[in-house]
Amino acid sequence: MHEGGTLIVKRHGHGHRAESEHFEPQKMHLSIVAACLSCGVPAGHAESIGRHITNEVEDWLKDKPEVTSEDLRRTATHYLKTHHPDAAYLYEHHRSTL
Amino acid sequence: MDIPSSLAIVALAAAIHASFQITVSVLTLLSGHAIGAKRSQYNVLRLNWSFIGGTATMTLLILSFISLLLIHLFGPIDVPLQVWAVACGLVFGIGVAVWLFYFRKEKGTKLWIPRVLAEHLNDRSKATKHSAEAYSLGLTSVIAELVFIVPSMLISALVLLQLPSAWQLFGIALYVVISLSSLVVVSTLIGGGHSISKIQKWREENKGFLQFAAGSALVALGFFVYIYKVVAEASGVL
Repeated sequence: MHEGGTLIVKRHGHGHRAESEHFEPQKMHLSIVAACLSCGVPAGHAESIGRHITNEVEDWLKDKPEVTSEDLRRTATHYLKTHHPDAAYLYEHHRSTL
Repeated sequence: MDIPSSLAIVALAAAIHASFQITVSVLTLLSGHAIGAKRSQYNVLRLNWSFIGGTATMTLLILSFISLLLIHLFGPIDVPLQVWAVACGLVFGIGVAVWLFYFRKEKGTKLWIPRVLAEHLNDRSKATKHSAEAYSLGLTSVIAELVFIVPSMLISALVLLQLPSAWQLFGIALYVVISLSSLVVVSTLIGGGHSISKIQKWREENKGFLQFAAGSALVALGFFVYIYKVVAEASGVL
């Protein structure tokens, strides 16, 4: 990963100022596990998928000083699709449910 | 208007209410977050049913409030035909608006509601851990849906006011029970172990149909009540 950690730029809708924070692998792990559990994946398997995806995303971030939260979500979804398409769908669309 | 026709109108209005999707979306999010946080199935269902209890309470309160307001304004029996005509126009107008604007034209099931409100409901559904919070989330979700459900509630209130007292209570109960049917179905599916993603995918794939059905049903309801009540009474048929 980039020295000092990759910066994640978050944008909250129109008219809001962009915020940024350092990438937190644990946060990503938990959100992947949550998506898997919501799809009925057993807890142990969900944890395993969460670890895999987080590692793959960390590899992808290695040479990137800054990415947007949308990039991060898209990339995680891409990797998650190969493990569990339903969980990937839920992970990708959880902000567009309402 | 006879009792069976009145109850049929109330049932149709409640079914239209049930077809609106804000409360269903919030229930889906609430369940997804609860399952994702490794809560037991019992806790997930407890939150779901508390949420449904909140929506039932708010629906009951709003319908009763509209009925009471109409009684205060026009008396228990003689609601002027102009009020019926305005109510039918409102139902018709919202029906057309639902045809055109209900779901946003992008991926997912985003609705045409203020984004601030949507984000608030989204965040609250994530933060909800106790039954009381789920109950108040249910109350709030019905308020968020108000612009879509007020026309069907107004028509129901007008129809209910013409019924004998005992039938009025039955009509209100009928409205509340039918309006909750979509939430009960979703909660039962989740309780039965169905995946949230499958439910959400179904909603996304069929959102065009849901939008068309809700809009068409509102237009049909407005048209039917206008002919059956306003035109018939004005022309002296009834």
